[in-house]
Amino acid sequence: MAHAHSVKRHKGLMDWLTTVDHKKIAILYLVAGGFFFGIGGIEALLIRVQLWKPMNTFVTAQQFNELITMHGTTMIFLGVMPIIFAIMNAVIPLQIGARDVAFPFLNSLGFWTFLFGGLLLNLSWFMGGAPDGGWTAYAPLSSTTYSTTHGVDFYTIGLQIAGLGTLIGGINFLATIITMRAPGMSFMRMPMFTWTTFVTSAMILFAFPAITVGLVLLSFDRILGANFFNVAGGGNPVLWQHIFWIFGHPEVYILILPAFGIISEVVSTFSRKRLFGYSSMVFATILIAFLGFMVWAHHMFTTGMGPVANALFAIATMLIAVPTGIKIFNWLFTMWGGQITFTTANLFAVGFIPTFVMGGVTGVMLGSAPADYQFHDTYFVVAHFHYVIVGGLVLGLFSGLHYWWPKMFGRVLNETLGKIEFWTFIIGFHLTFFLQHFLGLIGMQRRVYTYLPNQGFDMMNVLSTIGAFLMGVGVIVFLINVFVTARKPSGVENDPWGDGRTLEWAIPSPPPEYNFKQLPLVRGLDAFWKEKMAGNKEMTPAEPVGSIHMPSPTIIPFVMSVGLFIAGLGFMFTTDDFGNSFLNFMFNNYIVVIIGLAITFGSMIVHSLNDDPGWHIEPEEQGGKGVEA
Amino acid sequence: MVNQHNNEGSVVKHRHRHEGPQKHVVAFIFSIVLTAIAFATVAAGGVNTAFTVMLLVAMAVLQVLVQLGYWMHLKDKGHMIPIIFMAGGFFVAGLCIIAALYWMWW
Amino acid sequence: MTTHAEQATNKLPHEPEKATLEGRNKIMGFWLFLAGEAVLFGTLFATFLTLRNQVADGPSASELFSLPITAAATLILLVSSLTSVFAIQAMHRGNKKSLLTWLTVTVVLGLGFLCLEIYEFYEYVVHYGYGMTTSAFSSSFYTLVGFHGAHVIFGICWISLLIFQVAKKGLTVVTAPKVYVSAMYWHFVDVVWVFVFTVVYLLGKVVG
Repeated sequence: MAHAHSVKRHKGLMDWLTTVDHKKIAILYLVAGGFFFGIGGIEALLIRVQLWKPMNTFVTAQQFNELITMHGTTMIFLGVMPIIFAIMNAVIPLQIGARDVAFPFLNSLGFWTFLFGGLLLNLSWFMGGAPDGGWTAYAPLSSTTYSTTHGVDFYTIGLQIAGLGTLIGGINFLATIITMRAPGMSFMRMPMFTWTTFVTSAMILFAFPAITVGLVLLSFDRILGANFFNVAGGGNPVLWQHIFWIFGHPEVYILILPAFGIISEVVSTFSRKRLFGYSSMVFATILIAFLGFMVWAHHMFTTGMGPVANALFAIATMLIAVPTGIKIFNWLFTMWGGQITFTTANLFAVGFIPTFVMGGVTGVMLGSAPADYQFHDTYFVVAHFHYVIVGGLVLGLFSGLHYWWPKMFGRVLNETLGKIEFWTFIIGFHLTFFLQHFLGLIGMQRRVYTYLPNQGFDMMNVLSTIGAFLMGVGVIVFLINVFVTARKPSGVENDPWGDGRTLEWAIPSPPPEYNFKQLPLVRGLDAFWKEKMAGNKEMTPAEPVGSIHMPSPTIIPFVMSVGLFIAGLGFMFTTDDFGNSFLNFMFNNYIVVIIGLAITFGSMIVHSLNDDPGWHIEPEEQGGKGVEA
Repeated sequence: MVNQHNNEGSVVKHRHRHEGPQKHVVAFIFSIVLTAIAFATVAAGGVNTAFTVMLLVAMAVLQVLVQLGYWMHLKDKGHMIPIIFMAGGFFVAGLCIIAALYWMWW
Repeated sequence: MTTHAEQATNKLPHEPEKATLEGRNKIMGFWLFLAGEAVLFGTLFATFLTLRNQVADGPSASELFSLPITAAATLILLVSSLTSVFAIQAMHRGNKKSLLTWLTVTVVLGLGFLCLEIYEFYEYVVHYGYGMTTSAFSSSFYTLVGFHGAHVIFGICWISLLIFQVAKKGLTVVTAPKVYVSAMYWHFVDVVWVFVFTVVYLLGKVVG
């Protein structure tokens, strides 16, 4: 491999559009995910403003339906999932001692399809109205009879495109972890975050195809006049519920497992102790994933499946508390007797544990089928899932971002601002959602745009709204922290926490494009810590210094995603009358769809025909320069 | 990434053992026979419905296992991870089918 | 472990598709993709099974389906799966000409299958006026069988593109994994068809 292939290196915007470097794709995911998280947050605040007093008219009932639908959909699919992918992209190749992911091209494709799917979904606000059937889009609410705008079409097609990106990302991380681990890193020597990423990706692989089909069926019902969920044509709305939750329940574990991984890393680093019960943690993770697929119908207790099905799913649901409990105790035992430092990352991690336990306890309560008849569709459910998603996942994400920020950007986030951020966020969170348990128990229904006064709801709703704004303040302080930190000079040391245990802390912050000049030899769990304890300053290399092969940047993933965006937009307007003969011709004859698909498949063919020879970084070029951030 | 090492399936076997077409043809004949049994049972009719259903499903599952094992090489060495994941995929597919058969109408 | 397209065919290792890390990644990634596809078709089958008796005013499965056409389509697809096995064996022998021949036979058989399916759908639509909107049964039938048909179309285009590539670039450690993966795909399409003819057509005749 002596001869170097010339490669076109892009600068500025083109660099970001064409990059296949996992570290840059991580930053793209973080920026895009953060953007959608902000939109979802604003929607949440608007919901809370509407609910702060009884009989409020801040938004109409229709607007309220659109807000709750888009808040849930945006937060889950476009906000937190991409931020999870940002952290996975930034960390996984480094943790397993790899120079990149298995499929750099697909990594880029996954990001761009997610982004264009998300943009398409949010375009609905400006094109006749957002989806209004709830994030679960239950038929017949989501049918053309009850949802007459194109909102639900934006939901089905936008999520379809974004979901494709997620599936691609999942396959990519699975393959990466299976085939790209550094010499010596057996499965049982993988860091816990790598394990949870692996299991999460497997769940993505098995869960997302189900929603793909569900969305196809719903869009066929709405656009082609099929009868899947249309009772008059023999369809069955319960079918949608099953398909949605066969995907939807694993999805919530897809969200929480990465947070478990982050917490495991952070707690053990800042306790200066090895993770307690590593193998039981691995076992519990796999068990949670397995059980996660067996419990979908606990969302449907009130549908009328009968006592046998309800009992079965109730028992399966409560079983999940066992492996989750194992994890909780292991974190506590990791801290037990450790030298704990309360950095912001660790504060978020320690705050996570009791908060998540509360969400878990209400989960077991909801898992009891008879009690669920009382809780169903009340604010008790809203409180429960916000405790696990915000109190669990979002605290985990903040913890992970503070922990790995220096690795991603070469700068440590400000600790004082970080602590302000933590306290405002967590106090605001509990103020908002703790009260909602009681609102639900005394009968306040979710998804209703207002309520009558003097039912005991009034005061708690005021406090809940105040809490929501406090959470908003916490997020704004985080953003201020990001800007303040960005103005500081880059270039912290390899291991800014001083107690890093895993491989990512053995290389510069931010790492050079090729991550590892020489692939490290892994001699045990917590590979870097093990070397430190043996008195070594760095990892033992597993190979001599040599020329490093890199994949070329490419614009094709971006173009493919644009094609899907165009095709999706074309498909949802096929039956519309635009009052313009040219537009009618273009849309009603599927010409826009064909153009879009031609762009996508044409780019695929171009990509397949032109084999990427890649390019090489020679040993003399391998300085300490990192990726620009 | 050319300079990568890996632990899983990295043992490139350089045995120049050219497997003949025999076992694949046998798998093919096996598939044809299973298919023929299925079609013939339905075409002949008159057989107990519940038995026919079980027979058809058994023929299909058997045929799929043969094709996955022989034509797609799942029975060869170094396919542990593909087997685990394919089994996972079929397991979740099976859950969907069970839901369809038992918890859809009442 | 370099990926030089110029590498001479006669120096190829026995299993050229697994000679590079890229090749092995591709195969592993594709297995994972197929596992996802299993769930995709599982969900479609679940949909079909849910709605199999919901014929509304339209014809039922046993009135509609013709076993001879299904049997012919099954035979064609099964043979094409075997020919793609032969293609891979030719590749392992390093015989480019034989590889191209078997791939071409596979594509032709795939086209034959597709013609039968188009004929079948055409019959239903024109003679029975039986379309997507007729009943929940028809929606689920066209979606399930149509998804499989779309996979066949994609496979035909893909393998054709690979025939062109192998002819042009030769059999190398870059092209070999592509061919191997496309053969995996084609087998999987056949595996799905086994369930389609069993569940949709045969069981449709028996219990429909």
